[in-house]
Amino acid sequence: MIGFRGLTVLLIAGLAGIGLAVLGWSQRYTGLVANAVGGLGSASAPATPAASPRPATPAASPRSAATAPQAGPSAASSAPASPGPLLSSEPYAQYAYLEWPGTPSVAAQQAASGLTISVTRQPGGIAVRAGVVGQPTGPAHFYANGRSVYVIESSLGDDAANVDYNLGDDGLVVTDAHGRILQ
Amino acid sequence: MSQRKGTPGPTAVGRPRQKAASPRPDAVPAGVRAAAERAGSVAADWAPTVGRLLLGLVLLWFGYHELVRPGEWTGYVPVVNASSSLAIIMVLAHGWVLLVLGVALVAGIVPRVAAALASVLLLEIVISLAVSGISDTTLRDLGVLGLAIVLTGCERQRLVLRG
Repeated sequence: MIGFRGLTVLLIAGLAGIGLAVLGWSQRYTGLVANAVGGLGSASAPATPAASPRPATPAASPRSAATAPQAGPSAASSAPASPGPLLSSEPYAQYAYLEWPGTPSVAAQQAASGLTISVTRQPGGIAVRAGVVGQPTGPAHFYANGRSVYVIESSLGDDAANVDYNLGDDGLVVTDAHGRILQ
Repeated sequence: MSQRKGTPGPTAVGRPRQKAASPRPDAVPAGVRAAAERAGSVAADWAPTVGRLLLGLVLLWFGYHELVRPGEWTGYVPVVNASSSLAIIMVLAHGWVLLVLGVALVAGIVPRVAAALASVLLLEIVISLAVSGISDTTLRDLGVLGLAIVLTGCERQRLVLRG
């Protein structure tokens, strides 16, 4: 049987849990990486209907560039490439896995689980098309002077068998030849 | 070819006898045997408690994380749209239950009941993960489910909060 002390401890834990839940609710659309770079999951799409187009560059972090898959139809976009900060200087740099060019490493392949990413070299830059497996892929996004594409994945443990159970911590970053993030 | 007991055959010549390689049980020093028995006794006494504390820490960690970062967990919610508020609410509720169960396990409050509830919760997690395919994550959680089930049957627990 549960005693008075046990009940008290559980009550305190329950109240603390409610407090944390309130805190979590207030920042429900933020994610570790997603907030910084514009994730591929729900975390980067606050109160945005899934079918409506949204900007490829998240408003939460205007200086960083990330392509987010577009669930709905939208016009093909072409962004002027204005270089931002160095990817290596960003706090999420440790979670960046080179996806393109070259053959992705095993870790990069795992990081890209659940995502469909296609990169096409074009005159003056690259066109990146990204999406979630099983969902319609959005239009290609052109990055002038784009040289490399990185997948951001803060937790590889949630990726397995080409399924990403937590897209909230995923993102895509395009950098130029100097490693600067393109907007 | 049969040989009489005690007479070494031609093939055995020059080889060490097998019995000499493995000492008889009574040949083990008494001190070593006592130490082994003591270690076994300590393990039997404390292993369920250590397992309970570790399971509690796992639940506490995930519960806390689901509560403060629900947006990162909505991808796991089956059926419901991951970007909906309902998914967030479900993650928060799930995190709350995990947190309370984690506290119960760590503090040793009705540990077997807490372990049983954790088993149910983990079974639900394993099933929902397995629906989309067997992965290493699924198997990892299967192992944690196994620990919770074992703890449900453990009567000997130390560091239990009574009263």
